[in-house]
Amino acid sequence: MLRVSATTTDTAIDLQGVNGDAQSAAVGIEFGEDLMKFAESLARGDQAALADARDALLSRAGPAVLIDAAGVAANFQRMVRIADAIGIPVDDMENEIGRQVREDLGIERFASAGNTPGARGDNAPGISWRTSE
Amino acid sequence: MPHFEFRDASWKIREDIPEAYREYWRKLARPGSWWTGVERAAIAAETRNALSCAFCEERRQALSPYAFKGEHRHDGRLPEAAVDAVHRIVTDQGRITGTYVEQNVAKGLSREAYVELVGIVVAVFSIDEFHRALGLDLEPLPAPEAGEITRYRPAVLSDDIGFVPTVPPGGNVGNEADLWEGARAANVIRALTLVPDAFRDWRALAGAQYLSFERMRNFVQDPDRKINRMQMELIAGRVSAVNECFY
Repeated sequence: MLRVSATTTDTAIDLQGVNGDAQSAAVGIEFGEDLMKFAESLARGDQAALADARDALLSRAGPAVLIDAAGVAANFQRMVRIADAIGIPVDDMENEIGRQVREDLGIERFASAGNTPGARGDNAPGISWRTSE
Repeated sequence: MPHFEFRDASWKIREDIPEAYREYWRKLARPGSWWTGVERAAIAAETRNALSCAFCEERRQALSPYAFKGEHRHDGRLPEAAVDAVHRIVTDQGRITGTYVEQNVAKGLSREAYVELVGIVVAVFSIDEFHRALGLDLEPLPAPEAGEITRYRPAVLSDDIGFVPTVPPGGNVGNEADLWEGARAANVIRALTLVPDAFRDWRALAGAQYLSFERMRNFVQDPDRKINRMQMELIAGRVSAVNECFY
């Protein structure tokens, strides 16, 4: 979705911000570094870092941005748990944008990649992802 | 006193957020499809207990969560399989497998009850995370209401994705006609549809915290948000990466 929104607005971004690179997060995205650190500290449950990130975002972007950012971060703390608890596979592994993003971010290393047949190069859909532990 | 007044907040919070949270709290207290109001409240409470569970913390570090034995810190109001599922979803969701869900069925936690439980856990956890993100006190849980569960199951289900049956893209008919428009639905939208009310609760909260289905089509800037879509998706992507979510 980040790639799609950047393409839609013809904005150059650096996807490595998603992997936690602060300089990358700032490329083309206003308050990108602050937003990334805020999201990261919430997802890590690091209360000290979260307090620092909240203060930084508030001072630079203001309360309305902070509240919207908190809503989105909280929402995706939910979404990842739905996806993994139900074991849903990626909808279209052949989509070129998705394929490029997964390659750039190296996310096939995640355990939950096993929920998507073919995500790790296996060609046995419906076998390993339902039974392996 | 009404829930979600945010008296300890230093800033004005968009009114649609507390409205959505209040509505969810009302539903949380009532009997659901597979859990009573008392049980739903207990699942919500267990969602909070999970974050201070020493066993969960140790198990997360283990190479396999299945080889690690111990006991959760919990208040004893739910069956063991339900407690473990709640804690796993909060603290170690990336290593949940289809076999785990099937083994829980054998222990009495049906697929339907599991899906409703997932819906409750993620909703309460998400609402709590909004509070933690802003440094606010957590909202007291609602008092449960008496009543019978419905045992409702959608008429059209498919086993083509995930660990449980889901309503297929063309299954939005009859009582499920309101789930989505048209004959296409992404897998994440289908995920909770074995319990349609869990899906409806998910959709309502997402509309306040993130974007409604309709407004997700706008990849530039929603008129009612102060952050643009790229900013939203950077946040979403970072949260997903930290949680090691492939989807």
